[in-house]
Amino acid sequence: MGCFFVLSFNQLLEPKTRYSEPELVALLKEQSNEAFSYLYDHYAGALYTIINQIVVDKETAGDVLQEVFVNIWRKISMYDAAKGRLFTWMLNIARNAAIDKVRSKGYRDGLKNRPVDEAVSSGMAISTNPAVNDVGLKKVLTTLGEEYRRLIDLSYFQGYTHEEISKMLGIPLGTVKTRIRTAISQLKTMIQ
Amino acid sequence: MNIQEYISSGVVESYVLGLLTAQERFEFEQLCNKHYEIKAAREAFELALEKEAMQNAVPPPPELKQKISDVIFGSKKSAPVMPLKTKQERKITWLQLAAAACFILLAGSVWWILNLRNENQQLQAELKKSNEQIAQLENDARAIQKEGVKMVGLAGTANSPQSFATVYWDTTSHDVYLLVNNLPRPASDEQYQLWAILKSGEQLQPIDLGFLEITQKPLQLYRMNNAQAAHAFAITLEKKDGNPAPNLDKIYVMANL
Repeated sequence: MGCFFVLSFNQLLEPKTRYSEPELVALLKEQSNEAFSYLYDHYAGALYTIINQIVVDKETAGDVLQEVFVNIWRKISMYDAAKGRLFTWMLNIARNAAIDKVRSKGYRDGLKNRPVDEAVSSGMAISTNPAVNDVGLKKVLTTLGEEYRRLIDLSYFQGYTHEEISKMLGIPLGTVKTRIRTAISQLKTMIQ
Repeated sequence: MNIQEYISSGVVESYVLGLLTAQERFEFEQLCNKHYEIKAAREAFELALEKEAMQNAVPPPPELKQKISDVIFGSKKSAPVMPLKTKQERKITWLQLAAAACFILLAGSVWWILNLRNENQQLQAELKKSNEQIAQLENDARAIQKEGVKMVGLAGTANSPQSFATVYWDTTSHDVYLLVNNLPRPASDEQYQLWAILKSGEQLQPIDLGFLEITQKPLQLYRMNNAQAAHAFAITLEKKDGNPAPNLDKIYVMANL
């Protein structure tokens, strides 16, 4: 009993066993509670930040984060390491969940009841409000030219397809595609 | 197809950031499997993106972890978040419950035992008292049923017609017992006194047989002084501490033999 206590106590003091990514994925697929705890401690901040760039309202962003972790937990068996890193997979789950939330009727109805300034900063017009969450990709975005910035904003942060953007802005589809690719290839050099 | 051109076209970043159509994505994955350089470029961008995201991470509100764990594992199984603490907390609660239950049981048992003991002692005392009373009554019964015991009923006089008493006189041992069947309660400064009366010719000689210490006990048989001889018995009401001679005005009961 005493021995058990000391062991567990030490574990509590140093719970951060480091897992390699394949180890972590394998444990998550076995539904390990400890692996989940580690996953959360390690990645919640990064995912929350990405969600927050799309869903600015903190409480809603928290709800989305919950949805994201529930999805990660349920869909971990579908994760295929051959197609990319675990973080990349989770990042896309987070981004899609945040965009879905922003587009949901409930969220938009909520926005209507708020002051205009806040609604503007809540993800509908990012390019006009660079001060909010000016980190990560969004920070890089501010260094891009206006025509690129708008395209990345619409496609990455708002989730519009190239066809939708083409119609929305009255720019040919090929041009939209080329510009987005050009803009995004600049991202690479900027974050490295 | 020029691999380097493909890599620098932005398709790698678009793939990683989820901006490709399903068709484009499929093509990219095929090419990744074929061309190591494309896969290496993808991994390099993924790592850079992850590193950048980790560096700029803003932690979510701390209470979210517990909330999310509760949703995933159910609120009862919150063990994954802080396995030790929860386990211990539960253990302590369980132990405390068990200890409380034991204590209540113990206290209850002690109280019950003490009660039983008390009751037992009371019953023993009562039994002892009853046995003593029975022994006394048997003793009295034996005393008055001996051969040669004369029973004399003393009837009420004009002073107190309702009064009645019984004298048992053992003519062999000369013991005298008195049973008070009915006598009025004396005043606090007065006492009943039993007399044996001897007749010699016309002379009546009263002999003091003692005072009555009246008790409330039913069937009390009072042991009086011995009487060598008697022709009559009488009870008078006297001042406390008594008279050497009876107050003849205050004879309550009497009988001739």
